[in-house]
Amino acid sequence: MKKIMCMFLAVLMILSLAACGSEKQESTAEEGFSPSLDTSTDCHITVAGGYDNFEALEAEFDSFNEFYPNVELTFTKVDDYNNMIGMVLDGNDAPDIYVNYSWMYGRDQYKSSIDHAEDLADTALGLDLDCIRSNIILNTEDGSLPMVPVFANTYGMLVNNDLFEKEGLSVPKTYKELVDVCAAFREKGYENPMMGFSKEETTSLYTLTAYPIFCETVADDAEAVKKLNALDASAGEYMRPALERMLQFLNDGCVDIDNCAKIEDNYEAVILRFFEGDVPMMFCSGDTVSGTKKRESRSEAFIASPFTYTFAPVPVSDDGAIFLDMPNLQFSVNKDSANLDMANEFMRFLITSQELNNMAQSKGIMSPTKDLSFNSMYAAFGDVPESRILSPEVIGLTDDAVLQMRQANYGVGTGEMTIDEAIGRYGTFTK
Amino acid sequence: MKKTFIIVINVVIMASILIFVVLYSRAESRDSYRSQIEHFEDTTVTMERVTGNYLESEQRICDIWAHYINNKTMTMEEAAAYIRSSHVLENTSAHLISLDTLTGLSTRPKQGTDDDYAVSYERVELLKKVDWIDEIGKSINITRAYTNPMNGEQSLAFCNIVKLRDQESDASREAVLLRVIPISVLEQKWVFPQTELVNAELSMIDSNGDYILKGDNFKNASFFEFYKSYNPTDPESSGKLFDRITSSTGSVSMINSHKQECILAFTPVSATVGWTMLGLVPAKDLNTGTENWLLVGVVSAGLLILFLADLLYILYFNKRLQIAAKEAESANKAKTDFLSTMSHDIRTPMNAIIGLTTIAEKNLGDVEATGESLRKISLASNHLLTLINDILDISKVESGKLKLSPLTFSIVETVENLVTVSQPMIKEKNIEFSFNTNQMEKEYLYTDQLRLNQIYINILSNAIKYTEPGGRVSVDMHQEKSDKPGCVKLTYTVADTGIGMSPEYMENMYQPFSRQIDSRVNSIQGTGLGLAITKQMVDLLGGTIECQSELGKGTTFTVVLDIPEADRQREDMQLDSVDVLIVDDDEYMLQTTVDIIESLGASAEQAQNGLEALGMIEHRHLSGRDYDAVIIDWRMPEIDGLETIRRIRAEIDADIPILLISAYDWSDIEEKAKEAGANAFVSKPLFRSTLYDKINDLIGKESRSIEPEDDYSDLEGLHILIAEDNDVNWEIISAILAMYGITTDRAENGRICVDMMREAAKGSYELIFMDVQMPEMNGLDATRAIRKLEDSWASSIPIVAMTADAFSENVMECLDAGMNGHIAKPVDIKLVIKEIRRIKDGGGQL
Repeated sequence: MKKIMCMFLAVLMILSLAACGSEKQESTAEEGFSPSLDTSTDCHITVAGGYDNFEALEAEFDSFNEFYPNVELTFTKVDDYNNMIGMVLDGNDAPDIYVNYSWMYGRDQYKSSIDHAEDLADTALGLDLDCIRSNIILNTEDGSLPMVPVFANTYGMLVNNDLFEKEGLSVPKTYKELVDVCAAFREKGYENPMMGFSKEETTSLYTLTAYPIFCETVADDAEAVKKLNALDASAGEYMRPALERMLQFLNDGCVDIDNCAKIEDNYEAVILRFFEGDVPMMFCSGDTVSGTKKRESRSEAFIASPFTYTFAPVPVSDDGAIFLDMPNLQFSVNKDSANLDMANEFMRFLITSQELNNMAQSKGIMSPTKDLSFNSMYAAFGDVPESRILSPEVIGLTDDAVLQMRQANYGVGTGEMTIDEAIGRYGTFTK
Repeated sequence: MKKTFIIVINVVIMASILIFVVLYSRAESRDSYRSQIEHFEDTTVTMERVTGNYLESEQRICDIWAHYINNKTMTMEEAAAYIRSSHVLENTSAHLISLDTLTGLSTRPKQGTDDDYAVSYERVELLKKVDWIDEIGKSINITRAYTNPMNGEQSLAFCNIVKLRDQESDASREAVLLRVIPISVLEQKWVFPQTELVNAELSMIDSNGDYILKGDNFKNASFFEFYKSYNPTDPESSGKLFDRITSSTGSVSMINSHKQECILAFTPVSATVGWTMLGLVPAKDLNTGTENWLLVGVVSAGLLILFLADLLYILYFNKRLQIAAKEAESANKAKTDFLSTMSHDIRTPMNAIIGLTTIAEKNLGDVEATGESLRKISLASNHLLTLINDILDISKVESGKLKLSPLTFSIVETVENLVTVSQPMIKEKNIEFSFNTNQMEKEYLYTDQLRLNQIYINILSNAIKYTEPGGRVSVDMHQEKSDKPGCVKLTYTVADTGIGMSPEYMENMYQPFSRQIDSRVNSIQGTGLGLAITKQMVDLLGGTIECQSELGKGTTFTVVLDIPEADRQREDMQLDSVDVLIVDDDEYMLQTTVDIIESLGASAEQAQNGLEALGMIEHRHLSGRDYDAVIIDWRMPEIDGLETIRRIRAEIDADIPILLISAYDWSDIEEKAKEAGANAFVSKPLFRSTLYDKINDLIGKESRSIEPEDDYSDLEGLHILIAEDNDVNWEIISAILAMYGITTDRAENGRICVDMMREAAKGSYELIFMDVQMPEMNGLDATRAIRKLEDSWASSIPIVAMTADAFSENVMECLDAGMNGHIAKPVDIKLVIKEIRRIKDGGGQL
């Protein structure tokens, strides 16, 4: 009898605990996101982008389906995205939500992509824009907000923390420390204290060294920006500090250019080389960092000797690192969507610190939210003082101006020209 | 312990049945699920065939175009024009792309234009390598889903390499012919046909797991990545699984991106090399709840109800058993008590009989002392007989063997008998006694007279027994209309001023051997069975018995019975022009009698005392209009009935017929009445028929004196045959009858009796007293044999049973066998004489 009573009480207790547990879950869900539409709504939402696949976003679809189980969300890859998205938006397969880029602002060939976008600054939509760093929320000239960033990008270096720990060194915070650390590694037998992609100017180690200095140089000089954007030949002089620091860096013996030239591309090859485990620091972009996790299993060296690594800003300035804060992927809502309410509801669900961080962490990329500490990979960028956080988009440099700088920089870095020659050719560089 | 064991066994059986039902249901469900999975596999294979056929047909169209273009060595413009002319489907298009430049012409203009047919695949990662495109007609060459550069629609294309002629140089150059079909068109066709597979989706993958066609629920760019993302596995296991998926037909279970268990069916696409068709459906869609939970629920509920019912029944049964055990214990105790009581009650009169016999033997010389001893022995014997009769009755009642033997009888005779029987005790105790009847219209009733007598006598004798000398006992009997058709409601009320009963005793007064604990009661002889028997009899006759009693004040019993009327009633009782005077101090009695007389058609006058009667008789006598009869009550104030008669005879009229009535024993006043000049006597209560008969007798036999009841001269010389096997009994009955001048012959058993009757001369015997239980031939068989004798005298001779078988059914058996009457042993000589006279007077003639 006692046994039966005990069993009965045990079952009762388990049920009670289960009930309490479920209540807690419900209350958690209530605190996060509360559906504003009929949760039984049955519709299909398409998100278009240039990725082959977007698993991090599909995970968000699954989370959204917990609230709206009958809403089918799919991601569709559009080939030649930047050129095709306008046509897609005008055609029969127009998506409800689509990837957009703020650099398309003001360019006629991308006009359709901007024109189809709903103004997400409308407070009636209920998007939590405050959770995103203001540097990367880019309004148009008329103040509307056609897109919001869901990922951010920057430049920096992958750091093999185990090597620093093993050699008793600290990750450098200033340029001098950087040079010292590189020297120390060299003394300890490390052939390549730093490496980076060098075959093309895009995200090459040359660019990643000079670009932050270049932005810092013109950040508060509207006249300079204006001249640079106008590709005025006299504006080339604004590149000098950046070019000099880049050349100094090469001369300070931090990198072996010949070895860097062996890295075939600025993505997978960079990652796999870093996973060899003998490079304490590797130049790369945030995009490249997002590919590291998946490639751990493809590197025999890393599988054999795994190590911990993080992404940190490169201390190219004497005063410390400069955090170039840039939007990576931005989402727009097709204002002509047949399911506009549900598309907005999904955006309201997604544009929160929690969901954006979840998606960024899943993708392995930098989150656009103000809180970077949640992900140890990017936590170092959260330590950069606000005065040293720069946004090229906010500065207002056009792609053409940046391209001139990159070409000049690459020419100097590879030794094809001197600094003066490069400055003199500003405005004349072609791809 | 046993109860717990039974419960445990029950629970185990229930649990076993439930487990069996659940397991069976699950097995059925599993079979059904397995069958559904097989069905899904088959459907996927069917879809593969359909898809294969579709792909082949689309590829064939592309092949035909390519053949034609190659055969005609067309320029790109000519080829485009040719395809445009043969292209009929609205949603599809064709692209001709030069492999040199990855640009070319489309058969349909760019979206938003009417004449821009230029198309570029430069930025579509599709045609940079074309080694996957086989020779024309050899295989299906299909692209992955891609964005159609002409309209932005997600599409796929069937391809062939064609040779085109350069318009300028006339040289041959290779180009890719793409038959472009929007995915949306394909999706409309590419769905599972069954409604139960509405959530199922298809995908097609190449040998690397990359999607060629991708259903919405298939995630990632590669199916293999999709599988690994949501299904924990190791490289070796996943490698084996992927090999299996891409090389065979079958199905596996996997988790999808919604963390749902799904069934993945796979089969190679036969129309291609290395492609696999995949079907994915949530497992719950196939496992459609065929587990019959209703059955399980019903069985569970049924078993539970059965279990509870069994449990309750067992508890009820146990309770019944406990009650039965207690009753058995109680019955056993009652039996012990009964035997103890019987032993005591039988030993008491036996002690008196034996002791007094011893005293009588020692005082044989002293006639007075011997006579007194014999009188007391007689009393003790009678008590013993009553006790034995009561015991037999109660045992028969309690065993349920007592059966009613209804027959037609006269309630008048019953009442007369009742009065007669009770008179000795009334006289002995000097109790004031009255017996009133009213509305007794139906004289003949049909019921078990013996049992009715028992009821009435028991109640009346109790009243008399428990009433102190000088007290009063009154009986009231009346008939009413009964609710039962053909019945009369006969109410019998006996009220006494006796010792009464306590409420505590009254609660159990109908239990056998219950006697009130009272010193006065203990001095009164009784078995304690009377009331129990009475109650049982009343119940048996379907009546009610009620009792009101108060200690020291008296008791009133009321018995109400619905008794069927007999078919025979005396309807022709009418007295012609008779003038009757009724004298009684009891006004109620007086009025009742007047009513009866007048209902008989006579005229009646009444006088409330003797003096008034004398005056009225004298007045009539002097006026020459004497009453035809005078009915006078014995006990009256001033001058009683006897004195009144005496004065009438002496002073007025010596011949006027006078009927003396009394509720008391006639024998007490018989001598004095005869001396006073009473012509006849009738006991109260007065019935209509009694009065009719008596008055008729008085009128028809003027001044006939009352015949003494102890005149047995009419019996002298009678010769009776007695069939009796017991020598003592034979000696007793023959000696007693001899005292009345009756001679007897003996037959030692039934056969001898029959033989003697067969041999006897006509008129040899007046009747036969037949014992029942005898050797060789019993009395019943002997009677039947006698009734079959050829001699009519012999076969019709009156036969009266004289047997110790005293129950009513024994009486009925005797009558059924052909006997004319029944006398129970030990014999009451008065009853024997009465029976002989009844036979002699013709009552026993057949």
